[in-house]
Amino acid sequence: MTMTDTTASDDATAGQGDGDEEVSATSSWVNRIGLDKYSGLYLLGAFFIFFGLTEDNFLIWNGSIEFVLTQEVIVVLLALSFLVPLTTGTFDLSIGASMALSLVIVNKMALETDLPDGVGAIVGMLACLAIGAINGFIVVRLRVNSFIATLGMSQVIAALIRRIHDGGNITNAFGDSYIDFGKGSLFSFTWPWSETVIELPYYFFFGLIVAAGIWYVLEHTPTGRKMFATGGNPEAARLSGVKTDRLAWGSLIASAGIAGFAGLIYSWKFATYTSSVGPPLLFTAVGAVFFGASQLKGRPNVWGTVIAVYVLAFGIKGIGLRYPREIDWIQPMFEGLVLIIAVAVASRQAVVKVNRRKPTSTDDETSREIEHEVQPSPATTVTDKRSIPDLTD
Amino acid sequence: MSNLLVVRDLTKSFPGQVALDRFDIEIGEGRTHALVGQNGSGKSTFIKILAGFHQPDPGSTATLAGKTLHLGDGDEAEAAGVRFVHQDLGLVDALNAVENISMGAGYTTGRFGRIDWKADRRRAAEGLEALGFGDVNIDVPVAMLAPSQKTAVALTRALFEWEQNAHLLVLDEPTASLPGADVERLFSAIRLLKERGVAILYVSHHLDEVFEIADDVSVLRDGRRVTTMPTESLDHTRLIELMIGHKLERIEHHSSAQLDEAAALSVESIRGGTITNLDLTVRPGEVVGVAGITGSGRELVAPFITGQTPSDDGSVVVCGTPLPNYDPNAAIQAGLAFVPADRASQGIIPLESVSNNLTLADVERNWRGGRLRHAEERAETGVWIDRLQIKTAGTEIPIGALSGGNQQKVLFGRSLRLVPRVLVLDEPTSGIDVKAKEQILQLIDEAASSGAAVLVVSTDTDELVQAAHRIVIMVGGTVVAELSGDEMTTENVEHAQLQSTKATSA
Repeated sequence: MTMTDTTASDDATAGQGDGDEEVSATSSWVNRIGLDKYSGLYLLGAFFIFFGLTEDNFLIWNGSIEFVLTQEVIVVLLALSFLVPLTTGTFDLSIGASMALSLVIVNKMALETDLPDGVGAIVGMLACLAIGAINGFIVVRLRVNSFIATLGMSQVIAALIRRIHDGGNITNAFGDSYIDFGKGSLFSFTWPWSETVIELPYYFFFGLIVAAGIWYVLEHTPTGRKMFATGGNPEAARLSGVKTDRLAWGSLIASAGIAGFAGLIYSWKFATYTSSVGPPLLFTAVGAVFFGASQLKGRPNVWGTVIAVYVLAFGIKGIGLRYPREIDWIQPMFEGLVLIIAVAVASRQAVVKVNRRKPTSTDDETSREIEHEVQPSPATTVTDKRSIPDLTD
Repeated sequence: MSNLLVVRDLTKSFPGQVALDRFDIEIGEGRTHALVGQNGSGKSTFIKILAGFHQPDPGSTATLAGKTLHLGDGDEAEAAGVRFVHQDLGLVDALNAVENISMGAGYTTGRFGRIDWKADRRRAAEGLEALGFGDVNIDVPVAMLAPSQKTAVALTRALFEWEQNAHLLVLDEPTASLPGADVERLFSAIRLLKERGVAILYVSHHLDEVFEIADDVSVLRDGRRVTTMPTESLDHTRLIELMIGHKLERIEHHSSAQLDEAAALSVESIRGGTITNLDLTVRPGEVVGVAGITGSGRELVAPFITGQTPSDDGSVVVCGTPLPNYDPNAAIQAGLAFVPADRASQGIIPLESVSNNLTLADVERNWRGGRLRHAEERAETGVWIDRLQIKTAGTEIPIGALSGGNQQKVLFGRSLRLVPRVLVLDEPTSGIDVKAKEQILQLIDEAASSGAAVLVVSTDTDELVQAAHRIVIMVGGTVVAELSGDEMTTENVEHAQLQSTKATSA
């Protein structure tokens, strides 16, 4: 009695004025200082101040900045490769495996052939693009839910990797010219009041360029707009003339390609292959996308993701310096909690009450009154609409 | 004859409309009582109040078998012995008959809460047998059963433990999706129930069925009961007169069909689902309405033409361009724009902004010099907001926050912005209030005046009569009649939809 009654009377009063929308934004201090949208940046600043001021060995903290900036480019790319198909409502869980695939190919070819190392890089990229095309075929043509399809594909890739290489580490496979191509220093910067020099190599900027390219496509082209529309309501997008299947397919090819490129960056930075690279980074990447969705805008986005990756990485680095023996368990705890808290804060933002009227199935003589709570916050976009796989798909 | 259910002074108002207006009804013990009326007459609202889905306005009274019944309380109705089979049946397609029946009736459990499947199977089999549906395979998912068998499963579930507590069975459009032969099987089951002394409230659009199965008929019109009469004392024509009761004036059309021009939309021999054969043409400047009762094929007309749903066969040509089957993008490219029937699932992208929703069908328009001009998109959206009188807190708020009528206007904007040569509208005013409805009818007229060929598919006959130059009537999957000019009255349209049912279902 109570629930429906309230609904009906609310609706009646709201309906009188013909403007039955009612946007109740909670304007609190959280919004005023932008904590809802910029919580990551605040957190990052807090880490810098806290660890910078309190760390006994100031130099060690400063010295770790370069390491984190460059190493995390790999995670940034992996996260972006998850983000791209996610905008169309498609999951790609095979990105960690794709990254490992390109990495093993480039190492193996450098080790066992006389071809230039760059050929291995190209073959690795092509292999990843092929994986993406197959993912697209399975999801779009065979209508397998993307969550399942790419989960299966990641095992298939793992098998391929073992066929290519039997497991041990590969080191020192590359010639100098290959390493220089990625690792040559493009930019150096001396940290004030200390002797620390921060050098940023080429591959750091390759990563930035890829990120900027994805940002441009998603936010400034019709393709990006249509990708988000597809993720928001695939049938409505299709009926508006959006080629939703093509976008989903293309986004899976792109994600595999970006993940493959992350593998190449790994090869420049570490010049090794180990079997533990790739899939273990999946949580960090996925977590960064969802955390990043709570940053800057009301949905998953490139720069939010980038910020999220670095917030997590610097946080972990700082904790690791402070508690070197505890970092093993603190790291996953920290990643998990930051994700949950960031999304929870974002979800507390404006809650829009929507009286959505749906025609009844029979003779639509009265509109069915359904009161929905639509939460236009980024994180909830993700958690409500996209992260729950529809296994019957 | 004593009364089983008595309802007095039942009023239910929704924003902008009164669905039931001091409605009364009495249903006799052991009688089959039909409820008939046009779309919008209040039948469904009454059923939904009885089922507890809607709350009535204060002031109503009801008694069931002499005891007070609080309308709007579904649990109390259930406890008092009122059972429902709704049009969509409420079955889970992937589960079998036993599981579906147990879901409603409660599982029989043994020790430690384990389900006693043997007992549940027996119960399901016996229940179906009692309705004359002993042939139902209770082990396969109900999706694989014939339509009438599914209805029987839903009936069995509704009737569970009926004997202890039997009062009233409500059947809401039970035959809407049943082919002819299946209707007969269902009727045999209903007759078995009648013999057992069960009182039935039967809601249907099909007057033939009403004459076949009902003892009494109540006619609803505009939320009031016009009359209740024994079925014998009525004939088809009289019943339709009672249902329609009034005539409606047509609005003044500004647009006029250019009769000499070639058709902008021509549809030939489309087939698929409930549509057996559909031919249609719409000329530039013309508004053509499509009417038909549920199950007549009406609901598939727009989906087939626009490529929303694949058809089995046939051709659609838009201004000389043949459209491929099942390709909305090709339809849009050819100059056809459309507004789908189900706004929530097929129209809006709820979390995207009003601006993004409005420009979705042609994003490229504001794409220049390698950049999407966001400011121009907002400006363009602002113009449409003014023109369509959309009430919104801005161009950037999520469309999900708008009311239904305003969402619908945004979707109209999405289509009109394309300056379509053919505009297809599926249930354009469903579930929106009176004022928004008027504005939308106005927009339809404007679109036609500017030279578009407009096809309007609607269950709302008054709306069709107001908006259209001519109305085609679908019965049994094909067009059986066309009305235009002075013949085109609500009365004639309703009449044509219902009158011919017998001929085709036989």
